[in-house]
Amino acid sequence: MKNTHKPIAFVPAPLVFQDETLVEVQNMVRACMQCGTCTASCPNAFAMDLTPRQMWRMLLFGLKQEVLQSRTFWLCSACYSCTLRCPRDLPLTAAMAALKRMAAAEGDSANRKKALFYQEFMHNVEQNGRIQEMGFMCHYFLAMHDPLLPMEYGPLGLKLLAKGKLHLGGSGQRGRLGPLFAKVRSMEGAS
Amino acid sequence: MKKEYGALVVGAGIGGIRSALDLAETGLKVALIDARPSLGGILTQLDHQFPSDHCGMCKMLPLTQRDQSSQYCLRKGLFHKNIDIYLHTELTGLEGDPGKFQATLRRRSTFVDPTRCVSCGLCAEVCPARVPSEFNAGLAPRTAVYLPVPHNIPNHYVVDLDNCQRCWRCYEACPTKAIDFKFEQRKDFHIIVATPDERITQDLPLWFKDENFPLHPTATGEKALELLAGGLECGLMLLDLDLPEAEVERTLRRALELRPNLAVVLLVSKDKDGAKNEDEGKDKAVAALFKQGAREVLAKPLKQAQAVPWLDKLFMRLVSDESFSLEVGAVILAAGFECYNPGDNPNGCADLMLYGSHPGVLTSLEFERLASPTGPSQGLLTRPGDGKPLHRIAWLQCVGSRDVKKQADFCSSFCCMISIKQALLAKRRSCGEAEATIFYMDMRTNGRDYQRYRDEAENTAGVRFIPARPHSILPGPDGDLLIQYYDYSGELREEVFDALVLAVGARPPKSMERLALAAGIEVNDSGFCATRYLSPNRTSRLGVFAAGAFGEPADIRGSMIQAGAAAMGASRMIRVYHGPRDETPEAEPEYTDVSRQVPRVLMALCSSCPTLELNVNADALRQRMAILPGVVKVVDVKRACTREGWDTLRQEAEATAPNRVLIGACLPYMHVPRLRELGEDLKLNPALMDVVDIHTASLAGRATSFGGHAACRASCAAGRGEEPGASPGVCDCGETARTDEMSSLLAMAAAKLLGADPSSLPQATPVSPQALVVGGGLAGMTAAMGIADQGFKVVLVEEAEQLGGQAMNLRYTLGGDDPARFMEDLIEQVEKNPNIRVLKDSRVVLSRGKAGRFVTVVATGEGMAHTLHHGATILATGGHEAKVYEYGNRVRKCVLTQLELEQRLAAGSVDASSLSGVAMIQCWRSREESRNYCSRVCCQGALKNILMLKKRNPGLPVYVFYRDIMTTGFAEHYYTEARRSGAIFIRYTPDTRPKVEFKDDKPVITALDPVLSAQIELHPDLLVLSSGVEPNDSAEIADLFGVSLTDNGFYQEAESKWRPVDFLKHGVFACGLGLGPATMRETLLSAKAAAQRAVRILSEKQLSCGNVVAEIRDTLCSRCGRCISVCPYGARALDLDRDKIVVDELLCQGCGSCMAACPNSATVLRGFRDEQVMAVIDAALAVQPAAAAGL
Repeated sequence: MKNTHKPIAFVPAPLVFQDETLVEVQNMVRACMQCGTCTASCPNAFAMDLTPRQMWRMLLFGLKQEVLQSRTFWLCSACYSCTLRCPRDLPLTAAMAALKRMAAAEGDSANRKKALFYQEFMHNVEQNGRIQEMGFMCHYFLAMHDPLLPMEYGPLGLKLLAKGKLHLGGSGQRGRLGPLFAKVRSMEGAS
Repeated sequence: MKKEYGALVVGAGIGGIRSALDLAETGLKVALIDARPSLGGILTQLDHQFPSDHCGMCKMLPLTQRDQSSQYCLRKGLFHKNIDIYLHTELTGLEGDPGKFQATLRRRSTFVDPTRCVSCGLCAEVCPARVPSEFNAGLAPRTAVYLPVPHNIPNHYVVDLDNCQRCWRCYEACPTKAIDFKFEQRKDFHIIVATPDERITQDLPLWFKDENFPLHPTATGEKALELLAGGLECGLMLLDLDLPEAEVERTLRRALELRPNLAVVLLVSKDKDGAKNEDEGKDKAVAALFKQGAREVLAKPLKQAQAVPWLDKLFMRLVSDESFSLEVGAVILAAGFECYNPGDNPNGCADLMLYGSHPGVLTSLEFERLASPTGPSQGLLTRPGDGKPLHRIAWLQCVGSRDVKKQADFCSSFCCMISIKQALLAKRRSCGEAEATIFYMDMRTNGRDYQRYRDEAENTAGVRFIPARPHSILPGPDGDLLIQYYDYSGELREEVFDALVLAVGARPPKSMERLALAAGIEVNDSGFCATRYLSPNRTSRLGVFAAGAFGEPADIRGSMIQAGAAAMGASRMIRVYHGPRDETPEAEPEYTDVSRQVPRVLMALCSSCPTLELNVNADALRQRMAILPGVVKVVDVKRACTREGWDTLRQEAEATAPNRVLIGACLPYMHVPRLRELGEDLKLNPALMDVVDIHTASLAGRATSFGGHAACRASCAAGRGEEPGASPGVCDCGETARTDEMSSLLAMAAAKLLGADPSSLPQATPVSPQALVVGGGLAGMTAAMGIADQGFKVVLVEEAEQLGGQAMNLRYTLGGDDPARFMEDLIEQVEKNPNIRVLKDSRVVLSRGKAGRFVTVVATGEGMAHTLHHGATILATGGHEAKVYEYGNRVRKCVLTQLELEQRLAAGSVDASSLSGVAMIQCWRSREESRNYCSRVCCQGALKNILMLKKRNPGLPVYVFYRDIMTTGFAEHYYTEARRSGAIFIRYTPDTRPKVEFKDDKPVITALDPVLSAQIELHPDLLVLSSGVEPNDSAEIADLFGVSLTDNGFYQEAESKWRPVDFLKHGVFACGLGLGPATMRETLLSAKAAAQRAVRILSEKQLSCGNVVAEIRDTLCSRCGRCISVCPYGARALDLDRDKIVVDELLCQGCGSCMAACPNSATVLRGFRDEQVMAVIDAALAVQPAAAAGL
């Protein structure tokens, strides 16, 4: 069952330009004409509680909290289908990413938890120069503080292991991406 | 000798034809050119046009002076004495100034001599090449020698050189030697090859031996130049880039000095593994040489299979194409548009839409061909490929339109209505069984009657309209198509369809860049011709006008109006630079009265075509014809299509002194202008002459057409199992049948001529050279200026005390123009114009008369009455913003109409920065039964207010409740801008109308947001209503001038597509808001088009009717009135004073409906009397005594 965060009735938030992060995302999708191409293009739409079209709409109405409660943007796997097909040439995938950032930065504990996956992923890549699935998942489980979580992933892990899709050993690329990450941090710090 | 024309019209689609006719009818000579080998543009491919679902192109044909152009299906051909048509011709240069342009044209040869081609089709039968047919939108193949449009007249085959395989089979097959590949000219076409490459030197002469070209290989440029200087008649030079660079350049320069017309082709070696840098260097060198005059590039190493045909084709172009120039006063560009091709890479969507890879995915043009009886499936709606009948069809709107990623920040305007029409067509073809579904974003039914059409499709016919944009199509079961889309509730839906029609939009014509360069005009961001908002018919160059869909995508109606406006601009320009028109019109020819003479028919048979002698027993034919009643002589004429042929005919006629002439030849419509000349020479009315097509009959049973008697008899004998020659003379393969057929055709025509009424036509009406314009608003004033500038007097009658009308209420336009300033200028110009007499505070009280001669009484406010004599009338009584009294409008300060908001924003009494929210409701009381039409101006009005509000206060929340945003054409850009600026658009349907209440004197709006399916509650400061446009009350005026109104009180034009500013009553025209809701731009266009229609009448000294008109035998008439209601032209009326049915000869187009309806045979058609028609039938059925005798 979908846990929908869609309001049944609402009064749009006044369009004041105080919430800069919200305005940033709104600006990305303002020209949207609700044609629904993004939604129909999205391979993950089936798992989303709000369709992308609805989410953009709620953003434009300023319903920030409702949007942040949804899991739609977390499920975006950045395949760029919507961006590619949007007739208005809107940077939709970028908007999804901006929402993830916003949720991680100022969202509630649930959102911060969802962000952990991304954080751990990037951390792992920075350390190893590529993703090391075993190490990554271990860190993730630890960070989540949920003893039942490894059980849930167990069957999937075994399946992947059997197909040789889980990278176990060390990597010769360790630390190789360090300078890249450092550069990005310095750029972000400067801006 | 340089030909002179009044105007050059580029593009012979419907826009070009309309402009050309509008100019030709005022007596100007017009050159009409088209890059295609056929007339009619895209309309040749479309059989069905909404709302009638018929073709109606012929309705464009002149209604007065009809006999100056052949009254004939315009899809097949256009023949007007003032229009010269050049097909397969492009504009390559335009020098000079308005009034005296030098236009350089290039005619690409079709390699088929039209005077020889008999359209027998033998060439196409042997042609081995197959390419997708343009006419059938690629659904069927065609050969490289083909008929561009199967129904054209005259229709000649053309050779598509690009796809020709150079096998020469058509050349050999042609029975009349019409195909000319210039074999003889080849031996005088010397080719010099300057190359250090020895292989080329050795190979080339061998390769070209068969081709008859003399080849001169040289090793250096020096030697090549020596040959040239020695006077060699060289047509082509191949120059190798492997020669030293300086030598190449010098040789090229020197060669072009010696022979300025020499074609120089560069040989460039493209090594596959060659260094990239080297290639770039070469490209630069080539580009430099192109600037110096090199013509083309041929890649080395040469291969025989490619190089030989390539050079052969180049030779054919060089010797066959011709360049010529014309002197023209003005130029009209009507090059139309191209349909968006989803297969175009890289911006197409062929991969997502399965276009090209799945036979069920069609473009709207392909569907149109599929539904056409002349199409690939003979009109059966079946899927190409597997032939499955199409029962579930989906239309996908906005393919290639409204998509900034495909360089289309515009709406193509016509696709919505096309899709509705096609959906209804599919429904009707399947007796309602087909399921038609249209996926859309906004249904743009923004014409006056379009909304009704959509409602009918939705409610009566059951077409489904789904607001969604499926992004990709999947192959479904059994070759069907699967469409997935999300509906507004967020549910994923899947549906299976048999076929999917992509409603493709418009793109600028492919040749746009070249044409813009040649004509020296600017193009806009979307690649269409740039026009200014308030001078929509003009391009950036003075004297060059844009017609049809060249400046902005438009439907047929829009194109017609735009073309009329362009014609008006051109006509005015020509008058301005050439002074007043020649006051010496051609003398009316005088004809001898032969009504008291015994009919004497001279029959001439053209014997030029070899088909006649081969396929018909000519002697028997002549003998049979000679014994027909009334025929005094039968003569043979060699080549009736040439000047010599006609001279022989004239001499014969002068000797015989006949009073009827019958000519048996091909292509009757080609001969009509010549009949007029012959008539002048013989002083015989051309109505007593006729041309019969005997050519088609002589080709019947084509399989044996060209073997002639011998082959025919041999095959017959073989068919009977006999030795050839066993029973000589016995032949049953059609010669006798053909002779019979031909003689009965001729006998029928002779019988018709015998019965022709030789009495003279009703007298012509003299024209009062003055126009009356009723209404002094934007439309009326523009129309008055358009007529006055062409040298005619105009009386402008305005009810109010000031000129200006509704446009005076506007403060700004979407494009940022200043309407107030524009109107001030216009009023000043009108009041100062010496040809315009303005009567303010006046009204029309009485009008009588008909086209050319109206008498109207105008009463002024002071009680004066003016009696005016005028030849044409323009009704521009305008409209106004509809009055809305609901939602607190006119009661509460916080509720405004769009127009009030515009005025207050301009005046500063609404301060955008102090507002905290604005809500707008579109389509208020429009597009539903009280006023079921789109008011056209409100969406653009709302957008311009939104953009103005947002400009002044970017943070202001603006909410717009809308049904469909109707921003057609380039106005779409402002819709995108309005969305981008942050306005939120909320769609509603008539069932989910927003509710408005007031709390503390502020509006509270509750509505349903369909995307979230949630109730939204708004508390704006201002509520703005788009109340729409209503026509001014014009019932009285309409009654005075005998014209009709629509249900909503707009003027009812004669034909919504083809005659958009005419009334059925000839000589009365309408424009502006009175005709239908329109923006300023559209009003300007319709006013200019109406002005040109009026000038057409005013520029005649007198109006005479056509030869075929209805007459009434009053004593037989029972006044039942049936003929009045059936007349499609409104030409008949019951004259109560005289108790008679009267026919307006100028209006009557001779269709014969009245004759069929009349129970007493009281109404007769000149040229088609009962006795005459019976005699023709008798002649057709008569068993010829001669035939029975076995001749």
